[in-house]
Amino acid sequence: MTATPQALVTATQAGWRRWLRRHGWTFGVWLLLLVLLAYYATLIPRFGAFQVASIVNNGTPFVFLAIGQAIIVIAGGIDLGVGGMLVLASVTAARFMEGQAFVTTLVIAVAILAAAAVINAGVGWIINTSKVPDIVITLGSLYVFQGLALYMLPNPGGGTSKGFRWLFTGSDTGIGTNPWPAVVMITLVVVAVALWMAKTRSGLSLYAAGSNKTAAYLSGIKATRVKILSYAVGGAFAALAGLANTAIAGRGNATTVGGNLTLNSVAAVVLGGVALTGGIGSAIAVVPAGFILFFLSPILTAMGVDPSNAQVIQGFLIVVVMSVTGVLEWRRRRRS
Amino acid sequence: MSLDVTPAEPTGDEAPSRSRRVGRYLVGHPHLVLVGVLVVLIVITGMVESNYLTVSGLRNSALFAVPIGVLAAAQTILMLTGGIDLSAAMIATGAAYIAANQSPKGAVIAILAGLAVGVLAGLANGVGVAVFQVNPLIMTLAMSGILLGLFTSWAQTIFSGSTRMGPFIRTLGGGSFWGRSIPWAVVVWAVLSVFVIYMLRYSGFGRNLYALGDNKQVSRLSGTRSWQVLIAVYTIAGVFGAVAGLLLGGRVGAVDLQLANVFLLPSVAAAVIGGTSIFGGVGTYTGTILGALILGVLQSLLTFLGAGQAVQQMLYGSIVIGLSWLYTRIAASQ
Repeated sequence: MTATPQALVTATQAGWRRWLRRHGWTFGVWLLLLVLLAYYATLIPRFGAFQVASIVNNGTPFVFLAIGQAIIVIAGGIDLGVGGMLVLASVTAARFMEGQAFVTTLVIAVAILAAAAVINAGVGWIINTSKVPDIVITLGSLYVFQGLALYMLPNPGGGTSKGFRWLFTGSDTGIGTNPWPAVVMITLVVVAVALWMAKTRSGLSLYAAGSNKTAAYLSGIKATRVKILSYAVGGAFAALAGLANTAIAGRGNATTVGGNLTLNSVAAVVLGGVALTGGIGSAIAVVPAGFILFFLSPILTAMGVDPSNAQVIQGFLIVVVMSVTGVLEWRRRRRS
Repeated sequence: MSLDVTPAEPTGDEAPSRSRRVGRYLVGHPHLVLVGVLVVLIVITGMVESNYLTVSGLRNSALFAVPIGVLAAAQTILMLTGGIDLSAAMIATGAAYIAANQSPKGAVIAILAGLAVGVLAGLANGVGVAVFQVNPLIMTLAMSGILLGLFTSWAQTIFSGSTRMGPFIRTLGGGSFWGRSIPWAVVVWAVLSVFVIYMLRYSGFGRNLYALGDNKQVSRLSGTRSWQVLIAVYTIAGVFGAVAGLLLGGRVGAVDLQLANVFLLPSVAAAVIGGTSIFGGVGTYTGTILGALILGVLQSLLTFLGAGQAVQQMLYGSIVIGLSWLYTRIAASQ
């Protein structure tokens, strides 16, 4: 009986440790984003609604793309084609939405999302049927999407409706002081994804298939279905990022290099604590990671670092963060 | 979709067994399929443009294949260990840039300076991957960004000046001998190929690469110091990247910081088409060479067809998917 208080203490301590182990990374990335924001606020002479809106709005495509990549990576894949899908969706939207009314543009947007999901589901199907590694097939799909995008819109141009631009940027012109539509959209999407992945059968099957394919198979999960599902959802997110891109720019540009966008999304996913080996991570931590990656260059610019040196520092930071996780992982493995 | 070479219907009593024998032979020698694809592509290109089947036509394809092939050498040896080099193209660009910058001081210094870029960047990649346990994809991706940033800022400061390659490197990259029939770049590639094939097949280091990619634990338990092997292989890959950059820069003449970018994904594709597994442990440089040649001929074909950028990229992607699918099929039935 006398030992109870101490047992309680150790129990709460253990609970706290477990919480830290489970959510520490997510917490840390959010904290890092807040610290960076606060630091940025002190750096520039005027920090107001305009700056916040600019960061939130322009970061939106990165975040959506990173979420899409995260879903695919958690399910045990990796999609180099998401950048191409972003560009393809963006130029398709710009081409068909030009001069249309708001409602029409919404219908087009939904159609594009659905088409992207179907097309990328096809990519997932090919990966599963051909048994070729994800990275190879999606390297091919990256080229195909980029080519299709050029075919769709050979020269930069097109347009969209004012309402559609407002939907992603909070202003009819794409520039303004209103971050709320983007904030609301990201929040809704992330909450939906998080609930789906944590609470539903199909969402959890992604983790199962990603962490141990054999165990997942033995417990009755159909690997083909999971692969196709993850690619479909990931593709839809890439398309959503593309739509956001069109809304922000007000036009489409097929010469945007999708490969670079993809690589950025992979970096964001890794920074967000998603293991590239699959089965570990959450979409919630990927959101701040996407913002941080997007946000580093304005911060460094505000610090007076020139853009090319900023790029050096950004690369260096990614390596440092990754080596910290690498060494932690190594230590954990050695201890156990 | 089974083997293309197998007739769909047996024509006679002996046909099924013969076709099966052919099929089995091809399964045992998957490179023959690549050779077949290469020959078919060359013939098709020859039918599209009759001038292609001449020395100068084939020379152009070879010249296009050289940077892909050399960069793909880096990808191949790294993929064998389960890695990849996304910084290869940027290393190539950086090496070419430094070589062009040092060209006024003479060819030897220029080439050494270029190769030094490869050694340093490769070494850094290796240390990151081997010692700090950074995922190769992320490490090399970050390295690519770091190099681009460094060279962009150096281009205006300590390395401003000449962006033109010296005459020796220009000859090496774009010149030919024997009545303009054999490009020097192809000779350099051939020498490098012999080195890589010898290294992978006959040296202990090469076997260590396969062992490491096949099973890291076992390789460690049998006494390999994996971190040393990894640092060495990333450094060598960096040197290959630099060589590719020197050759490409020599062919183009003037160097900018976008020089080798477009060759990054084709170099990965060449290794993959050639049958190197991205998970490590499986692959040969011979296959990669064939992959690079296929991509080179394909480039010529697409140019002759007058296909726009859009169609080119779509075909390119489809062929990467199709060939890797076919190859996996063949390898799986082994």
